[in-house]
Amino acid sequence: MSKVTTINKAISEHVKDGDFLFIGGYICRTPYAAIHEIIRQGKKDLTVTRSNAADDFDMLIGAGAVKRFIATFLSLGFFGLGRCYRRSLEKGIPHKIEVEEYTNLSLPTMLMAGAMGMPFAPVRDMAGSDLMKVKSFMGDNKYKVIKSPFDGATTVLVPALNPDVAIIHVQQSDETGNAQIWGIGGDCQYGANAAKKVIVCCERIVSRDVIGKDPSRTIVPDYKVAAVVEEPFGAHPGYTPGFYDTDFKFGNLYKTASSTEDGFKRFLDEWVYGVKNRNEYIQHYIKSYGYSSFKKLEAEFDYGYPVSYSY
Amino acid sequence: MVAKQLDGYIKPELMACCGAREIQENDIVLVGTGFPTMAANIAKHTHAPNARLMQESGVYDARPKRPALSVGDPCLNPGAAMIGGLMDIMGMGLQAGNVDVGFLSGSQVDKFGNINTTCIGDYENPKSRLPGSGGANPIGSLVKRVLIIALHDTRRLAEKVDFITTPGYIDGPGAREKHGLPPGTGPHVIITNKAVMRFDKSTGEAYLDTYHPDTTVEEVVKNTPWDLKVSPDVRETEPPTEFELRVLREVLDPKRMISAYISRGYV
Repeated sequence: MSKVTTINKAISEHVKDGDFLFIGGYICRTPYAAIHEIIRQGKKDLTVTRSNAADDFDMLIGAGAVKRFIATFLSLGFFGLGRCYRRSLEKGIPHKIEVEEYTNLSLPTMLMAGAMGMPFAPVRDMAGSDLMKVKSFMGDNKYKVIKSPFDGATTVLVPALNPDVAIIHVQQSDETGNAQIWGIGGDCQYGANAAKKVIVCCERIVSRDVIGKDPSRTIVPDYKVAAVVEEPFGAHPGYTPGFYDTDFKFGNLYKTASSTEDGFKRFLDEWVYGVKNRNEYIQHYIKSYGYSSFKKLEAEFDYGYPVSYSY
Repeated sequence: MVAKQLDGYIKPELMACCGAREIQENDIVLVGTGFPTMAANIAKHTHAPNARLMQESGVYDARPKRPALSVGDPCLNPGAAMIGGLMDIMGMGLQAGNVDVGFLSGSQVDKFGNINTTCIGDYENPKSRLPGSGGANPIGSLVKRVLIIALHDTRRLAEKVDFITTPGYIDGPGAREKHGLPPGTGPHVIITNKAVMRFDKSTGEAYLDTYHPDTTVEEVVKNTPWDLKVSPDVRETEPPTEFELRVLREVLDPKRMISAYISRGYV
């Protein structure tokens, strides 16, 4: 049965206030179209997680959608510290979010445990650091230290995470949600499979037959998927391998805009509230920067070596 | 800020070369962007052609056609030997003990090589909120040799960091082992814009090994906020060789993106 829908319906039907969301896209394939829709629909009290959060999480925090953040890192990368994140934690604007801090080893491990139905998992990092001294909303369940029952070694355990909803952006999916990626994976696969249900945004919907030509690329099987949304250019200003490059010009625009409360509000008014959907966003982008800027982001045509699964 | 020209090279180039010289043949090197990538690639073009790089986002042995601006940069994808996700690199690579060298930098670095990338001031009410650990804590916990890049002044270097995001020798010898971190891991060197400092295993403290050509032992000591011990063999840092500079300027970074470090204070 086809699960193809619009981003508007996918978010309104599957994301509730107070939900715990995994938002995929560690630099690569960030689901910005869905992020903007969450902000447009005024969702609030969300708990959000991903390793290495960037502009997308900063935007959600600045827009007031986030209550809690299971974090490892948040910055605008090349463009420095997350301005909305800083305003939230340093000045309580629009409100102070609660942050539980992990690392880019422990958090993906917690998602992996969640994806595999394990209750918790051991990690070899965090020990001896002040990350062990600060606990927020997870309290004593942030981690446990035990003597390993196997060799007596001091061992840190972290709990499994099972988000209510995962939102990911992929290159292609079929109508039922068999979702395929290529290129840098971050924690996308474990995060998606840890969630109770998945919203798949994709550059293109393809047939089940096309998926079957290279099934090793599928990271989420369709039984996990609640909605499929075809959203070309949906990861802009981030990138999607084989489709378009990172838009540094836009990254700089966000940095400058988000540096002040006013500038951030104007950014949302123009690029989020001021458009109804990604199609209008693209039209607005082309009007603002010209068609050549848009085309310049397009990836070169460079297919890899075709693989055969025949026997 | 005007770049100080040190006989035809800038400070960030010298620092990248200092980093390169810490990498050995066949090392597996977990890198970020900027200095680390340039340093590791200088090593590959000179004394360590079989060193291999990985990025935490999931990339092993990339062949980028432009300098990567993030650990997930688009240019890392085509041509890499392997692409997976975080657990492939941070789990099967790093945690399993396969990584020799990791580069880290921080807003604050202390004498034990502890690094702060979390907050300046009190954690609950920070004066300045920084990005957090990301991959830094596991890299600092688990690689055999941590190479630390830092700005050399009494604000960036500290007797004690405000927050230990990434453990160095914590509070002295034996502390890493006590907390369960694997033996044979920890900070190896701090490369700053004034000096190269190494670690005395008997105290866990960084000491001065070499000072850069435009400075002096006295100036380095004055700009270090702990009682900096000086190696009896202290000497001037070897300047970049002509070949190292050629690799950097003609092959790795023809657009001279490394000079962006000058505006960040690396002079």
